[in-house]
Amino acid sequence: MAGERSFIAILIKRLLLGGFAAVVLLILTRFVFHFPPVFQAMFVLYAGLGTVTFILLDAPAVSPFGGVKALVALVVFYAVLAGTFIAGANFLPQYDPMVEKGKIDKIVKPKLAATDKGKMDALLKRSVELNAQSQAIMKRLEALGGADKLKAAEGDKGGGGDAPKAAAGDLIGLGKEQYDLQECYNCHKIGGKGSVKKRGPTMDNIGNLMKPEEMKEKITNPRSWMAEGFEKEYNKKQMPDKYKELMTDQEIDVLVAYLASLKDASVETPKPIKK
Amino acid sequence: MKTWQRSLLLVAGLLLVGTAAYAQLPDPKPHEFPVVGNRVAVWVVAQLHILFAAFILGAPIFVVVSEILGWKNGDARYERLAKEVIKVTVILYSMTALTGGLFTFVLLATYPQLSGWLITHFFDIFAIWYPLLFIAETIVLYLYWYTWDALQGPLKLRHIALGVLLNVIGTVTLFVIDGPTSFMNTPVKSAEGLDLRTFIETTATLWDKMNNFSWWPLNIHRLIGNVTFGGFIAGLIAAYMYLMSKTDEDRAFYDWFGFVGNMIGVGALLLLPFAGYLLAYELCDYDASICPYMMSDQLSMFFEMQGAMVGLIFLASNYYIWLSLKRVEGLEQVRMRTTTLVLMASIPLVFMLIWTKYPIPEPKAFILPVCWVAAFLFAGKFLKWTVPAQTLVKVAFMMVIIGNAIWMTPHAFVATQALAPDDGSLSLPHGELNLGFITVDWGMLALMPAKNAAAFTLVFVTICNYILYNRALRKGRILWGKIDFVSQFVLIFLAFSAIWTMGLMGEVRSLTRKYFHVFNLQYDFTPEAYTPTLAFSSWVITGVTLTFYIVVSFAIVLTLRVGKGKAHADAPKAVPAAAGGE
Repeated sequence: MAGERSFIAILIKRLLLGGFAAVVLLILTRFVFHFPPVFQAMFVLYAGLGTVTFILLDAPAVSPFGGVKALVALVVFYAVLAGTFIAGANFLPQYDPMVEKGKIDKIVKPKLAATDKGKMDALLKRSVELNAQSQAIMKRLEALGGADKLKAAEGDKGGGGDAPKAAAGDLIGLGKEQYDLQECYNCHKIGGKGSVKKRGPTMDNIGNLMKPEEMKEKITNPRSWMAEGFEKEYNKKQMPDKYKELMTDQEIDVLVAYLASLKDASVETPKPIKK
Repeated sequence: MKTWQRSLLLVAGLLLVGTAAYAQLPDPKPHEFPVVGNRVAVWVVAQLHILFAAFILGAPIFVVVSEILGWKNGDARYERLAKEVIKVTVILYSMTALTGGLFTFVLLATYPQLSGWLITHFFDIFAIWYPLLFIAETIVLYLYWYTWDALQGPLKLRHIALGVLLNVIGTVTLFVIDGPTSFMNTPVKSAEGLDLRTFIETTATLWDKMNNFSWWPLNIHRLIGNVTFGGFIAGLIAAYMYLMSKTDEDRAFYDWFGFVGNMIGVGALLLLPFAGYLLAYELCDYDASICPYMMSDQLSMFFEMQGAMVGLIFLASNYYIWLSLKRVEGLEQVRMRTTTLVLMASIPLVFMLIWTKYPIPEPKAFILPVCWVAAFLFAGKFLKWTVPAQTLVKVAFMMVIIGNAIWMTPHAFVATQALAPDDGSLSLPHGELNLGFITVDWGMLALMPAKNAAAFTLVFVTICNYILYNRALRKGRILWGKIDFVSQFVLIFLAFSAIWTMGLMGEVRSLTRKYFHVFNLQYDFTPEAYTPTLAFSSWVITGVTLTFYIVVSFAIVLTLRVGKGKAHADAPKAVPAAAGGE
């Protein structure tokens, strides 16, 4: 308690101590821990909160008042509270709903309109067929020794062979889109981007470790395969078993096509174990 | 027409009109709610209904406990407190029925397909059990209120039994309606390998649907939340009445009333972080994709805001204890063991390291913290060094601020982890420090073990402050009615913040269904299926909180101020009173 000291003296002392704490925290977070500026500001703000709290602890008592004065104080108090909470919420970073809206449209719309869904399915099917055809042609050309000539011809024509490439590219692009829509990145990493916690394995080299049909098996039945070093996550059934029900066959196929294209052997990717 | 008759009529009307509206299904077109849209309309009405319902379920628990204490101790203050709170509850009961009815109509009109689907799956609950329980609760509540004066003296036990019955019915009502609510978050999966839709539509029984993954965690969380809520609203009632008091006797009574309300509110609040953790754990266990959505994706900043609110609530509740302590004569003689102070200061770091090395629920995650606390308590028996009460309180405040800082440290100051810049300019860096038995990484400040350690710190500090307060009461004299006037605004702040946080976390629970009405089962095909921004949410939550406050303030003034001429139990006379002699 304040005792005999005046509140002004306490106020000055607390402000000085609070200022000192803020400077110490700033030095520590900036020069010792190398935190980014936003975290430095956060810790300085905590020093401010501490200063205000410790000033309030020794503030002189307020005598009771009533009537209109109390009513006005109450209304002002509510206005300040409401304003502070709204300002606090607005001060924090905001997620742009338009990003999610785009994703939701892509997921929900096909489910809503059967006709639209049918069209999309047909397009996807056609894309898969074209991809299969292009791969068959490529194989025949390679068998005939014409692949080099074809590559040279492509170079000469400045992308004359775009049609089969585009089909394969579309497939992988659609697969990547499914990867984003289903938010696989929340648990897996590709190219160093994704989950900040250890939830699921890195996928960079999965194309070299699993066959497409094995990937499909894992997606539709997460209990069928386990990543090496992820025994705990496997036992906790971390990977949801809902994709078989929420994704169409075509959506799973394009996702598998995308995953099969991931063949970066330089990134350590846990070995899949058949269960 | 009396209030209870109006309520019964309203419930009967709801049943009739609700059934008639349901008969109009199955293919009605949704109505467009003007100006705010369908989602905000349902959000506001549902939230208001839940706030009133939380109060009329939480307050009777508070009231009966108070009545029992008054009866056992012969202290008239408890009786008066119980009677004044139940008086406000009776008025607000009508508001619960009214907002409940409004919620039903708005939901039926704006989301007819979903409403029809839910009614189909929970017909017995909505058409039989819930209305019957609601009617039973109405009858028992009004019986409890109207027999208050008649069942006194030797008949008091019968009145208390009525109060207990009221609470049993209220709790069962809460559990029953939690069934469909929790089902929407975690629809039960088939044990036989059937896909979710086939199982729910063909095989699952009503009990299967009720007894889903998050039903019990939600029941526990809401039950504790309601007690907290009841306590803080009782504190609000006391604060209003203190502001309007004209005599020392009234001030003494409402000072004491506020203290009891706050103590119950804070007592239950101590359990809330753990009940909330259990609910979140079960949601994540049901579907691991919910976890990143909450913690590192669209809702991450909602949890940042929650951290700020929880920190402010703990700061305010401890500040209220401090103001209460300041009016205890003889506080200077109260001392606490130095070991308690060291233990308090060690908890955030030590528990964070323990839970990082041995994550919950590993056995060592429980054994080591217990051993740590026990070691200090044991050492305290031999080391007789003590510190003044004021020193302990000030260290306690420091630990609340440190605990809150840890709680609020995120991985990155971004709305979603996917948006974190590659250069790390907004992210917590990874700087390692080898301590031998464990390597410390600054990044651990953003992980769950650190958050748990922070929550435990806030709880531990508050318990220590209450122990200190009780010790001060035993040694000194308390001057009821002489508390710093600011304390009444602290009580108002606590109630306002608790309601605001409740609105925020209610929204979070609802949003974890993502773009589904019923998770993984019923898609939300409306254009409003996205996650609203925290900024927008704060406006809605504040609007709902203020609306609730206006109604509650009106009810308090109407029943306790305007109707003050009516008889009530005797006010306490002792100002000051011997603190230990209560």
